[in-house]
Amino acid sequence: MSVIEVSQLTKVFRIPKKEPGLGGAVKGLFRPRFEAKTAVDHIDFKMDSGEIVGYIGVNGAGKSTTIKMLTGVLLPTSGSARILGRDPHRQRVANAREIGVVFGQRTQLWWDLALIESLNLIARIYEVPPARYRQMLERFSETLDLGDLLKVPVRNMSLGQKMRAELAAALIHEPKVVYLDEPTIGLDLIVKERIREFIRSQCAGTGMTVLLTTHDLGDIEELCQRVLIIDAGRILFDGPISAIRDRFGKYREIAFETVAPAAGLSLKLPRGTEVVEASEHRLRVRFDRTRATASQVASQAMNQTEVLDFSLSEPDLASIVKQIYNGALVK
Amino acid sequence: MIRRLFREPPKYLAILGMVPKVFMAYQLWFWIGLVLSTIAMAILYFFWRAVYGGTQAIAGLTLDTTLTYILLAQVFRPLTDVDLIYEFGYNLREGGIVHHLLRPLNFQGMFYAQSLGNLATQMVLQIPMALVATFVFGLRWPADPVVWGAFLVSAIMGYTALFFFVYSVACLTFYTTEVWGLGVLFFGMSLFLSGGLVPLAMMPGWLRTVVLSIPFAQALAVPINILTGITPLAQVPQVWLSQLVWVVSLWLASNLVFRVALRKVTVQGG
Repeated sequence: MSVIEVSQLTKVFRIPKKEPGLGGAVKGLFRPRFEAKTAVDHIDFKMDSGEIVGYIGVNGAGKSTTIKMLTGVLLPTSGSARILGRDPHRQRVANAREIGVVFGQRTQLWWDLALIESLNLIARIYEVPPARYRQMLERFSETLDLGDLLKVPVRNMSLGQKMRAELAAALIHEPKVVYLDEPTIGLDLIVKERIREFIRSQCAGTGMTVLLTTHDLGDIEELCQRVLIIDAGRILFDGPISAIRDRFGKYREIAFETVAPAAGLSLKLPRGTEVVEASEHRLRVRFDRTRATASQVASQAMNQTEVLDFSLSEPDLASIVKQIYNGALVK
Repeated sequence: MIRRLFREPPKYLAILGMVPKVFMAYQLWFWIGLVLSTIAMAILYFFWRAVYGGTQAIAGLTLDTTLTYILLAQVFRPLTDVDLIYEFGYNLREGGIVHHLLRPLNFQGMFYAQSLGNLATQMVLQIPMALVATFVFGLRWPADPVVWGAFLVSAIMGYTALFFFVYSVACLTFYTTEVWGLGVLFFGMSLFLSGGLVPLAMMPGWLRTVVLSIPFAQALAVPINILTGITPLAQVPQVWLSQLVWVVSLWLASNLVFRVALRKVTVQGG
């Protein structure tokens, strides 16, 4: 049985439509007009126990709305979500026991109190047995480097410290399903690395299922075997990262350093190759690797002009995703 | 079911126990509050002495009874202090409401536990005020334990009724998201309508009707009347019964209001 089963899940918001000016404001008071905005549009996906899935998309694509529906705090307009076989909205309390949530922009900790107070309370609310709690606390102190932080009030923490504290609070009761909504937002590389390492170590062998939204593709590359790409409420892609590369990463680039000024050159290159940049002594061409090989492009170019140096680059995940966001897929 | 009955209360007690800790984070407020409360008490004390002048009794109350009432009302003022409006508004604006909904607990129960924790903390912090009332203004405390018992039951029921009332009103912030005005309005109303400044007996009939038809007075004037003996013990069961009706009906109302308000959050996304 899948841990998360989403079918035809849809959320339509009614947004009040405000006309500008005082007249518009008064009009809105008496006859409010609404606009329907579809935030999530009939999406389907399943997740199995132990999977870490990256959920990516531009701002406003519908990521957070999906997560809110999966946690049960938002009622879907239509369609259904099942978490461990439960309806998360109707069985909100039962569902809440099994899940852990981090919203990168919000806190679940008691602002004025030392972190340990929040953790103690959370452990009691989720009925973590005391012995197990001590064990978890010890483990977290090590993997998240919480040691000294436990006695620090949350309001005095830096962003990176706060995020480590949030993760500890969300996972101390060993939830079966975890939603991480931008857990690395605004963090430096070292903290990011530590957090990724922590998520990985928590998942290893526990069967914890993680849905992770992020704008940092490093998170995805290091943690997820599978990616969901959402745009305008629809799922554009669902599959392993390698498939993204195969499917969307068919262009490669070669940059030549030429003896003659690059702008003056007009080279005959294999079909499907285009010049991306030609400035001073630098010539950059892009080719479709399904239609030409790198050696064909390079040798043809070198036959026609003297080349001092050249380099081949494979597109990184970020540029592929940017392409997808820009609608490469629609074509 | 029985197992749950034993497993659930400790969770809410744990929430209750957080309140004094949060409060201790702001020690300065304690001292400022103490000074302000002493000034308020002095003003009320001398005001009522001046009102009586040479008069023996007003509306059946002697100067002594009135002063005892006013001083006790000042000491027990935290009974009128259900601070949910700012709490809800803040939570809604900062998005903390989502985290509250994500807890495997009853939403109202969580806030009730927190409010009781607040009441207990505030009452402990009122001890200096009780000393000021006793040694500076000569408050004579009732000695009969039966009266104290009757008072406590009435105070808890009154506070609970007020909690449900404020909870219902606080649910309005789900729609308005504006809390400052509502909060100030409530603070002003609770001060006067709870009967903390003027004994109910002295209010004109129509005003007393108004005051008794909203639950502020249930939390302060009604229990303090029992404590000062203005309401004789013989009438206490009747008072309890009417308070019980308040509690049950406001509990039902608050749940109804919350269910509707929650739809706003869960359907419209807050």
